[in-house]
Amino acid sequence: MAVERFLQPRASSWMANDGENVDIAMSTRIRLARNLTDFKFPFSFTEDEALKVDKEISSVLLDKGNELDYTFSHISIEELAQLQKEVLVEKHLISPYLANSQHSSSVLLSDNEELSIMVNEEDHLRIQSLQSGFHLQDAYKIANELDTLLEKNLSYAFHEKYGYLTSCPTNVGTGMRASVMLHLPALTMSHQIQRIIPAISRLGMVVRGIYGEGSEALGNVYQISNQLTLGKSEYEILQDLENMTEQIIQQERRAREAIVLNSPLVLEDRLYRSLGILTHSRLLTTEEAATCLSDVRLGIDLKMIQDVDMSILNELMIFMQPAFLQQYADKPLQPKERDFARAKLFRERLNKEGINSEGEDLA
Amino acid sequence: MICDQCGERSASVIVKQQQQGQITELHLCHICAAENHSINIAFEQDPLAIHQLLSNWFPTSQASINPVKKEIVTCPSCGFTFPKFLQLGKFGCASCYDEFAPQLNEIFKRFHNGNTEHTGKIPASYGTTLKIKKEIEELRKQMQVSIHGEHFEEAARLRDEVRVLSSKLEGGASSGS
Ligand SMILES: [Zn+2]
Ligand SMILES: [Zn+2]
Repeated sequence: MAVERFLQPRASSWMANDGENVDIAMSTRIRLARNLTDFKFPFSFTEDEALKVDKEISSVLLDKGNELDYTFSHISIEELAQLQKEVLVEKHLISPYLANSQHSSSVLLSDNEELSIMVNEEDHLRIQSLQSGFHLQDAYKIANELDTLLEKNLSYAFHEKYGYLTSCPTNVGTGMRASVMLHLPALTMSHQIQRIIPAISRLGMVVRGIYGEGSEALGNVYQISNQLTLGKSEYEILQDLENMTEQIIQQERRAREAIVLNSPLVLEDRLYRSLGILTHSRLLTTEEAATCLSDVRLGIDLKMIQDVDMSILNELMIFMQPAFLQQYADKPLQPKERDFARAKLFRERLNKEGINSEGEDLA
Repeated sequence: MICDQCGERSASVIVKQQQQGQITELHLCHICAAENHSINIAFEQDPLAIHQLLSNWFPTSQASINPVKKEIVTCPSCGFTFPKFLQLGKFGCASCYDEFAPQLNEIFKRFHNGNTEHTGKIPASYGTTLKIKKEIEELRKQMQVSIHGEHFEEAARLRDEVRVLSSKLEGGASSGS
């Protein structure tokens, strides 16, 4: 089945760890929302229309993808088992919304997993381009090229005044949502993030923790994205977001310097304790794992911790999630069993890669 | 509110689940939410209760009544009424944008920092025609200014330019089809 290769606990290229500012900016995503003329939008279309839309878009992508050197795999959502859907969600290859879709829908994935095209999500077409690090322009270029190829072969719903028409009034215009994932432990520790979040929202952008609202960010990971899609060009939106992200990165760097200056030994102790937990614990909850991952990541950035490969941490962020753990174990796991499996995964992945942990692991 | 799962910590996350066609809402603390649901590094904007915002902005159903026909505005192509659009926070089809146009400026302004018009990418197939149309619009505006300032020679020159562009538009349309 086409989906198998995408379910493996294998790193996607956007989980790699390269590029500028990659210590703070973990990954970048561009999403373009498009609809076809001649069909009602997914909130009102019939199952028959849904099928036709799916067929039309999929056949164009499978036919023409090679013009841009892509090979797409077509995966029909309704043919997937629940766990398989969840794994794709955890890997960000499909949205939770698509996973719960009630009508014919599918996803087309490029072999390198950098492009994911969701069909019959909230809009007929959602082009998603993922890049590691802080690469807004590159990610947009890839999404835009594919969009341009598609518009030659499909008829997009476009309005002279309103631009690209979308199901949701918050996406109309460019249909573009650009996001950067940021690791901001120092701004969180110093509570500065609570001041930054409201300030940014006044500028047509939004910062949120992994869970959405407020400052409760699991693992100190935040996402910054454009809120506004109408009245600015794609170029302007990307510029604004890029400038803002750079400012936040600088502030995070300053906050890190301040913490190191004030209490280096306390910090080093904390970061090493977290490394100890990840490499030696027997039960590990998602929250504890995320907190410790954040600490170890910071330790590497500050050169306090050596010998741990950052890209392994990026992978573990993804693979420690419930569906992946169960896929890996090849059976359903209760929460406690997951904690055990998660701890085992961390010990295996981190110790195997040659951390010089002095204590003998007795497991 | 206390977390539905552990009954200990206060709930901070609402999780909607679909089970056997039924949607249940769980109020979870951040720890239980993390356990239950993929960390879901929420790349996707949460719907931010868009329908809630909309109904706050249009508390009365005033806006949904067509001022001429005195009946509820309905999109003939998909059957969505304006109240349904407000309630769902979603359009049913492309025609909704024209049917609900009188109310949309107000809505778009609020979502998009005062903006109501697209200035970004234009699909290639719309490209040339739309570009010419936007140019004509601009020239007409300039022409009005000229007439207002009694610069009639300038106005005449602009009128000629509009004529040239308009004929291009018609010619382009007929040869293109
Ligand atoms: Zn709980
Ligand atoms: Zn409609």
